[in-house]
Amino acid sequence: MTQENISGAAPSLARLVQELNRLPGIGPKSAQRLAYYIIRLPDDEAYALADAVTSVKQNIVFCEECQNLTDASPCQVCSDPRRDQTIICVVEDPLDVLAMERTRSFRGLYHVLHGVISPINGIGPDQLRLKELFSRLDRPEVTEMVVATNPTLEGEATAMYIRRHQGRTDLRVTHLARGLPVGGSLEYTDETTLTRAFQGRQEI
Amino acid sequence: MAPPRTYRCESIILSYTPLDEADLLVTMYTRDRGKVRAIGKGARRATSKLMGHLEPLTVVQMSMANGRSMDIISQVEVLQSFSELKGDLDGISKGLYLAELVDGFGAEDSPNPNLYQLMIDTLTVLQADTESDMPLRFFEFHLLQVSGLMPELYHCVECRIELEPDAHRFSPNVGGTLCLECNPEDAHLRPLSLRALKVLRLLDRSGIAAASKLTMDDSLASELKSLLSTTVSYWLGKEIRSNSFLERLHNDSLPEVYN
Repeated sequence: MTQENISGAAPSLARLVQELNRLPGIGPKSAQRLAYYIIRLPDDEAYALADAVTSVKQNIVFCEECQNLTDASPCQVCSDPRRDQTIICVVEDPLDVLAMERTRSFRGLYHVLHGVISPINGIGPDQLRLKELFSRLDRPEVTEMVVATNPTLEGEATAMYIRRHQGRTDLRVTHLARGLPVGGSLEYTDETTLTRAFQGRQEI
Repeated sequence: MAPPRTYRCESIILSYTPLDEADLLVTMYTRDRGKVRAIGKGARRATSKLMGHLEPLTVVQMSMANGRSMDIISQVEVLQSFSELKGDLDGISKGLYLAELVDGFGAEDSPNPNLYQLMIDTLTVLQADTESDMPLRFFEFHLLQVSGLMPELYHCVECRIELEPDAHRFSPNVGGTLCLECNPEDAHLRPLSLRALKVLRLLDRSGIAAASKLTMDDSLASELKSLLSTTVSYWLGKEIRSNSFLERLHNDSLPEVYN
C-alpha cells in the first residue's frame, strides 16, 4: 500500500488500511473496504474486535503438552480426563485439530507440530515441535501414535522422519487412510491416490 | 496473428505454495519453455481434479491457459509419479535437493531440454537406489555443464598448461583447476586431490548409469561432495537450503541428540 493509494484519507484511517493490508490475502482494495466497514460498525462491535485482537495476543500460549494454541496450559483437550491418554494424533497445524474435533470420531490426545519439514524452504526438524513429541512418546501409557500430517510430499517426509526417529519399538505408529474423497471422481484421481485406494479397499 | 490462448507442455513439478483460499502457485520446469510459474485454481480442495497431480517431483503433461499475469493450469495428466522414490525419506530429500537446484539454475522463458532430461534421468536412477550419493554428484557436475559453467579439468585455467597426474587446486571463481605453480589471490581456492580429479573426469566422460555404480571411500566422497556442492552454491549465489536436511539425514542420530 503506497501513500498515493490512500492520499486524502485521515491519518488514523490510512494507518488502519495499512495494518489491514499486512494480513495474508488482503490486498489494498480489500483493506480499504474492511477499514470503511469497521468505521461504519457500531462502537461496541468495533471495540469488541479491537479487544479480541489485543486479548488473543496477550493470552494465547502454547499448551505445554500438545503445543496447541490455548488460553490456559494445559489446554482443554489435554486436561480432560475423559480423553484417551494412550493415543496421540500428530497434526501439522492448530487448524487441523479443529478439523479433527469436528469429526467427533477421535477421543485421544493431539500433538501440533506447527509446520512440516520443508527442505526447500529451509525448515528442518529443529523448527518443529518434535522434541516435545518424542518426550511425550517416552511415557509408557502411550501405545499408539497416529501421524496425521497432510498427504503431501512434505507431509509424508515429516511422517517418515517421525517414524524413523521415534525411539520406541513397542509403539504402534499409524497414519490416516489414503483414498478417494467423498464427492470425488475416479476419472480425475491421480494414480498414486487410486493405487492406495485399491490397497485400502473394504468389504461392503 | 494473436498467440494461442492455450498450450500444452511436459514438465516436472518443483514446488508449490498456497495462494488465496484454495489455489496453488506451482513452480515447474518444462521441457520446452524453461521454468514456468502457474496457478492451479482450487487445487487445494479435496475434490479438485488437480488434487494429487501437482506434488513436487511428478512429471506431468499440462494444458495451460494464458493468464493476465500468470498462466492457469487447466488440465494435468501424470506421466511419471516416482512413487517409489517418494516412499523413501532419503529419496524425497535427494529429490527435493535436485528440485531446488533446477529452480535456482532454471530461468523463465529460457528452455534448456538438457537440464530437464538431466533431472528426469537422475530421479530415475535415484528411485532405483535412494541410498547412493553418486547420482547427486553426477547431477551437480552435469548441471554446471548444461548451464554453460563446466569447470576446466584438463588444463590449468591460469597458464593453460596440460595438468600432470598429480594433486592440484580448484576454484569455481577462476573456472576450474589450477596447477601448483599458479597462485592467484582467490578466497575460493581449495586443494584438489588426484583421486578427486580422476572422479571428476570420469563424471565428465561417463553416463549416469555407469557413474552411479562408482564406489568411493568416505574421504574421497566427502571431498567431492564438498567441492561440487560449494561450486554449485557459488554459481547459484546463495546457500542451498535443502542441503542441511540432506546432511542431517546423512549423519542423523536424533534420539541420542534429544536424550
